[in-house]
Amino acid sequence: MTSFWRTLLSSALREARRLRACPWDLAMVSWVPLLACAVMAWIFSAGLPQQLPIGLMDQDHSTLSRQLGRFLSATPGLKLVTSYDDTAQATQALRRTEVYAVVSIPADFSRQIKLGQAAQVTLLHNAQLGTHSGLIQRDVRTAVATLSAGIEMSARNKRGQPALTTRVAMEPIQTQLVTLFNVSLNYEQFLAAALIPALLHILAMTAGAWAVGRELRDATLGQWLGDSPGWSGASAALLGKLAWPLLSLGLVSTASLLGLTWGRGWFPPGSLAWVLLGLWGLLALSLVMGAAVAAGTLSLRTALSATGFITAPAFAFSGVGFPLQSMPVLARGWAEMLPYTHYIRLQMEQLQMGAPLRYSSLSLAGLWLATAVLGALSALLLVRATRQPARWGGR
Amino acid sequence: MNALSRLWQAWLATLQTIARDKGVVLILGLAPLIYGFFYPWPYGTQVVTRVPVAVVDLDHSNLSRQITRYVQASPRVEVRLITGDEHAAQQALWAGEIEGFAVLPRDLKRSVLRGSPAVVTVQANGSYALLNKAVSYGFSEAIGTVSAGVEIAKLEAAGQGKLQAQASRNPISTQLVALFNPTEGYGSYVVPAVALLILQQTLLMGVGMLVGLWCETGQKRADAFTWLGRLLAFCTIGWANGLLYFGWIYWLQDFPRGGNPGGALLLLACYVPAICTLGALLGVWFGNRERALQVLLFTALPVIFVSGFSWPSESLPPLLQHLRWLFPSTAGIQASLKLNQMGAPLADVAGLLGLLSLLALGCGGWLLRVTRLRQF
Repeated sequence: MTSFWRTLLSSALREARRLRACPWDLAMVSWVPLLACAVMAWIFSAGLPQQLPIGLMDQDHSTLSRQLGRFLSATPGLKLVTSYDDTAQATQALRRTEVYAVVSIPADFSRQIKLGQAAQVTLLHNAQLGTHSGLIQRDVRTAVATLSAGIEMSARNKRGQPALTTRVAMEPIQTQLVTLFNVSLNYEQFLAAALIPALLHILAMTAGAWAVGRELRDATLGQWLGDSPGWSGASAALLGKLAWPLLSLGLVSTASLLGLTWGRGWFPPGSLAWVLLGLWGLLALSLVMGAAVAAGTLSLRTALSATGFITAPAFAFSGVGFPLQSMPVLARGWAEMLPYTHYIRLQMEQLQMGAPLRYSSLSLAGLWLATAVLGALSALLLVRATRQPARWGGR
Repeated sequence: MNALSRLWQAWLATLQTIARDKGVVLILGLAPLIYGFFYPWPYGTQVVTRVPVAVVDLDHSNLSRQITRYVQASPRVEVRLITGDEHAAQQALWAGEIEGFAVLPRDLKRSVLRGSPAVVTVQANGSYALLNKAVSYGFSEAIGTVSAGVEIAKLEAAGQGKLQAQASRNPISTQLVALFNPTEGYGSYVVPAVALLILQQTLLMGVGMLVGLWCETGQKRADAFTWLGRLLAFCTIGWANGLLYFGWIYWLQDFPRGGNPGGALLLLACYVPAICTLGALLGVWFGNRERALQVLLFTALPVIFVSGFSWPSESLPPLLQHLRWLFPSTAGIQASLKLNQMGAPLADVAGLLGLLSLLALGCGGWLLRVTRLRQF
């Protein structure tokens, strides 16, 4: 056995003993991540929000307005909970968020339609709650359009147009919306699948910073690396130390991904293996990022602060919620520097879009290459750190 | 030393300790300021416009060219590619060059003239919700306008007047009125809610760090008035940060704000103590300076998604609907949106403020119990 492997093994054994001795440290790389991922999946387990409470303000009280009310009630995404007599009542209920929107039908609604004039329904919605309001807008528009089409169709039939040609005449060019990938706009597949890697990204960089930073804080760097380790010895020791969190977080991420896809009866169109390689790459990179910052700043606390700064807002910068191309140039530049941004594009390409593997190869190679480069740099920084024992033990 | 002067001494001493502790200053003082600009940064433009798309024109007629022109005129999308090859559009989609495309079928114009069905297929990338919305609305509106023009022309040819033709084409329309966040900007939707989370997380970590250190150095046990002074010092900083967000950062970023300033102050009065007592309690539990950062960093993600602002609380599992109230941020975010952004009267948030006060009292009481001086 060469000295590289001997160092690696002894570093791994030493880390295993330390993890066993400290339940907190062990928890943060084992059952805490597992529990956090499970909670994340649990939050979105409903898939698509349904039965969002809305109100109705019917000032017309006609057969037609009641019909619209029935159409709205029949929409699975909506739940008609109350009716209001005036705008003040409706506004108050919206402000209290008892309902997220109010459909208002004006007083001369059915009369206008009978006269052959255009009538308008108003949807008051609470855009401060963006997801709620977006879903409600879509459902209410659909319900109103259905009623509207029914009226137009019966008017045409009355004028003697045969029912068969009516549909075509009403909309000479029809738009068929095909949402590619994630067909039902299922949030479990969209958000939970994106947030679990984001969560593991934070936990992995934290674990990397902790594993290396703790040796600095406790001034045990010499015990771990020896008095004057070479670059190769430091690399071996780092590999051995980080092997545990990588293995453990990797297993958690694999279980989460498989649970979220196969476990929920979702068989993604792309390559799951490719996503897993990417996810392990993201975790490995996050771990060495944490290690590099700790070894570079010689401080566990600074390394953890940096972890928070880089990984906690990574989801906001990733383009999953707000698209990359709509960000200001400099913000987009920062986003492109974050590994999570590249990982999540790879995951979307494979899990949702079913893109051929060559489209996702570059990001995969990038994640592992960055891991290797940053790992080598961390070893270098560790060698430097062993020569500065006076600076160990900083809090 | 009487009780009040012990409280005063502890308040002063704690603020001095914080000022001398680089790590705690960074998290309690600097981080909220930095995040106030860093977090809203990607959402600077607020709305999604000019999403790149392609038009696959298989018809090459003046009607298909008209549709293309209407799509080009839409601010929602930007036509990057006009092609006769659907495969090319699919590849551009995978490569991320476009986010969706419409296929104008062969014989589009002929079908329309003959009165037989003509269907334009729009394919949008459903993996990204906002892009999907921009693409499908952009195409639907353009195609709908062209389609309506054709239908109105036909109705007019059949003898209807222009207005009547328009009314009989679409008897009922929906007018959308956004009551709050009227510009429907993405940043003004996300950031005012996340601001409360930033306040909570930085304060929890800073307080947890310092109290963890006190446990290591044996300063944990102290009488109730000393602890009240310490907590008051943490709250002082929390209140300052809260005022910074409510008063200045919302204004600087031009988010909806100032709906009920008096109510917002009262909210800070309840929200900050709830966080500080919880943070101190966590610090005692951790018993270690850096542990607070290690354990709390990742919690921001699950905590924000149970707060009910971006994921409807109705869709949470029933058990989580109850458990989520244990985090101050859940009531804090809801009360802040109501007070600052929606201008609700105090009565509408009384329950939320009451809950926050209960959390503060509960955590505070528990803290004093576990840190009381041992009687020998």
